[in-house]
Amino acid sequence: MRVGLFVTCLVDAVRPRIGFATIKLLEAAGCEVTVPAQQTCCGQPGYNAGDRKSAVALARKFLNEFEAFDYVVVPSGSCAGMIRVHYPDVLRDDPALLARITALGQRTYELTDFLTHIAMPENIPGKFKGTLTYHDSCSGLRELNIYNQPRVLLANMADVKISEMVESTTCCGFGGTFSVKYGELSTRMADNKCRHITDTHASAIVGGDLGCLLNIEGRLRRNGDHTTRVLHIAEALSGLDEEAP
Amino acid sequence: MNAREKILARIRNTQNPAAVATAQTIASHLAKHPRGPLPPQPNNLLACFKERALKLSSDILETNNINDVPALVAKYLNERKLPIRGVCWPALATLRWNDAGLEIQSHPALPLHNPLPQAGEEANELLRKFNDNDLVGITGAFCAIAETGTLMMLSGADTPATTSLLPETHIAAIDPKRIVATMEDAWDLLRSENKQPPRAVNFISGPSRTADIEQTVTLGAHGPYRVLLILVPINE
Amino acid sequence: MQNTSLQFKKQVTIKLADVRLQDALSRLQSRFVGGRAAVISEIHDLEETRIAAAAIRDHALNNLDYWLQHFEQQATARGAIVHWAETGDDVNRIVTEIAALHNVKTAAKSKSMVSEECGLNDALEEAGVAVMETDLGEYILQLAHEAPSHIVAPVVHKNKEEIADLFAEKHHTPRKTDIAELCREAREILRPAFLNADMGISGANFLIAETGSALIVTNEGNGRLVTTLPRVHVAITGIEKVVPTLEDVTTLLRLLPRSATGQSITNYVSVLTGTKKPEDHDGPEHFHIILLDNGRSSLIGGDMQEMLRCIRCGACMNHCPVYQNIGGHAYGWVYPGPMGSILTPVLGGIENSPDLPNASTLCGACAVVCPVKIPLPDLLRKLREKQMQLGMKSRQETFMLKAWAWLALHPRLYAKATAIGVRMLKLIGGNKKLIHTLPGAGGWTDGRDFPAPAGKTFRELYQQGKHK
Repeated sequence: MRVGLFVTCLVDAVRPRIGFATIKLLEAAGCEVTVPAQQTCCGQPGYNAGDRKSAVALARKFLNEFEAFDYVVVPSGSCAGMIRVHYPDVLRDDPALLARITALGQRTYELTDFLTHIAMPENIPGKFKGTLTYHDSCSGLRELNIYNQPRVLLANMADVKISEMVESTTCCGFGGTFSVKYGELSTRMADNKCRHITDTHASAIVGGDLGCLLNIEGRLRRNGDHTTRVLHIAEALSGLDEEAP
Repeated sequence: MNAREKILARIRNTQNPAAVATAQTIASHLAKHPRGPLPPQPNNLLACFKERALKLSSDILETNNINDVPALVAKYLNERKLPIRGVCWPALATLRWNDAGLEIQSHPALPLHNPLPQAGEEANELLRKFNDNDLVGITGAFCAIAETGTLMMLSGADTPATTSLLPETHIAAIDPKRIVATMEDAWDLLRSENKQPPRAVNFISGPSRTADIEQTVTLGAHGPYRVLLILVPINE
Repeated sequence: MQNTSLQFKKQVTIKLADVRLQDALSRLQSRFVGGRAAVISEIHDLEETRIAAAAIRDHALNNLDYWLQHFEQQATARGAIVHWAETGDDVNRIVTEIAALHNVKTAAKSKSMVSEECGLNDALEEAGVAVMETDLGEYILQLAHEAPSHIVAPVVHKNKEEIADLFAEKHHTPRKTDIAELCREAREILRPAFLNADMGISGANFLIAETGSALIVTNEGNGRLVTTLPRVHVAITGIEKVVPTLEDVTTLLRLLPRSATGQSITNYVSVLTGTKKPEDHDGPEHFHIILLDNGRSSLIGGDMQEMLRCIRCGACMNHCPVYQNIGGHAYGWVYPGPMGSILTPVLGGIENSPDLPNASTLCGACAVVCPVKIPLPDLLRKLREKQMQLGMKSRQETFMLKAWAWLALHPRLYAKATAIGVRMLKLIGGNKKLIHTLPGAGGWTDGRDFPAPAGKTFRELYQQGKHK
């Protein structure tokens, strides 16, 4: 099957390794992966800030770039949720576009959701050894019902033990521009999350959304924790967690 | 335009005409008063009622003979070292409370329908002399609801609402035959036996409580500290 | 009540530093969140019930004019008097007039958030009516001259030590810290207030059009006392609270207490219809029902109408990670949490609450627990859109958003800009690969490092790999 990878602006800019990890996982599952070169941002920052006009333009751009694929895979529950759940609202005023984006949304998957329900790889190449804890990012959890998927995949890795944190489904405080506009509040929410992570004594915190992971890592490091590793689920599953870049 | 007209006009000016129901739909909704999703019918209404009522901190005693009620009440109060003075609804006043060592007065006083004072504020003042010193209030109930372990009380001349409210201990005699599954069943029973709800329909589910201080549940906030349910066949 | 939500950001700083408040909030979270989780599963088909509840509320709101008039007709036929109020001031005037008409000197009041909207107590005191709040939480707040910080648990922000001090000072009694003893003390002080009050004032959780009844849920029993003992009863509620039938309200009752306090049912559910009959020994001779608009009708037929479904259970705030960290007072008006972040701007003017719609991560925890399926995050987002249309966003924020979107629509420039950006950020990050401060991003870096980018974008690396 032909899969278009929407890598997301955050992964593109901040941690490209997650993009390669995603490709590795998809190819290992037998997918033919294409990365449309013109892709940028899904438009969620503007949409959530009330800038509907920008979101409309970026939704149309996405539609044109990805409509030809059998599936679109996104290593982020937040961006996948934007496409699946919110693009139909963004394009609600144009019935033709609405029908097309709704259809494309149905073929758009968050990575772990795609692996467990569509690609179903026989083995997971990850090499992680030890205890990790999983943070459920809000959009993936509540918009796409992603909860078991990453856990099922991680359970396929022989040397991984999952130690669940308290309130793994509570928001880490990222919230996009919220994290800068209401920094103090956002930091307190991140602090609560970090406390729950530390309490598990896991050697790594794993999640499916880079935004949340940057928020969590930023607070852990500021608090002096330089040992707990902060990994995207694609990194943990692919075995690319050890290698640069 | 007065406030009423202005508010209604604003609603009519902006309401979505496509969503407004037809007169027929509305009339049918009122006539059929359809039920929402219901819990599954319990196998045993009595067992279900008891389980739920106990969960809500009601106490339960059972007997087959209405004449045993005074002795059960006396035992319950004595075991807890509670005062033995109180009031009961007139329908229960013929039970031999004195023989069980209890001081229970009928409220309102027997015989029923004694001449009322002349109507008006003064008469109401007289009627309104609530006795706050009655520490036990004994009532019946219109019916009981298994789903939540709840009593349904109808206010009326011989079923005053205060009897289940002012005393520190509320004791209610319920006929197990009057246990229905849900509040919906209770409404239907009300519709079939009375035409319209009385001034007050009170659903009571255990002793009054508050959790306002540190979300710690404390029984006996402003109403009764304890509720005793006596399941007993009652001949009407 | 005055709207002080303009102070939101300042209040956040204060509340985050308030150790006692933080302790109190953690208790709320464990009791209410855990409590709801324990009983909500009792509902046989929760989703089906939520859908039915939302449909009942939608039907009532879509036909609000009809059901309000039907309610009025039925209530009047049973001897109640229905008043309509456009504003909080109108409510105050109506209640004051009722008090004067019936020669009322004292009033006992059960909890009513709508009366908090109006500032009723002050208006009555000015008119010479002594008002006693009788809900334990509200009574404590009245003694302390404070506003509620939660719509269900109004005094959640205070611990028992503070309440012990307050009671000892105001009651002139020996200080007690046992919660049961504090409750008993309040009961003994309030009982004569119930017995002597000329007027009882309550809210109404629902109005039932079929029977013309007001429905009140309480646990303490004060709601029953103030509607049974005084000779005059005034119930004040919002126009949106009407539902068609007894069956409709029963469906909502399956959800309300479970969502609110984790109870299958509240201790008391009272359905009050009309006045006492001549032969009755209790009940009010005069029953006034006041229907308050106060901006609600402006939501009808618009894109915020879903907010009027709200049945005031408080589950959204109990589950909100923002509310859980700052409590209710920071929101600056009667209604806190997610529902308040919508109601305060839509009822009190969007320009008066610029922060509230934005102070949310849109995490969606509120929408998941809402018993009537109000899409709270979507409504918050709609308010942000309105702010944008009204030009309420800062120039800097608008510029950043527009610039980012413009760049994202121009992929080649985007590629260049991001390639330069990530190289610079990598340099700033240094050996530790952490950025400690960044101009313009103090909101982030004051409390957190920013993990530095790898230095090249994914797309650069991917293209390089392809051409190798």
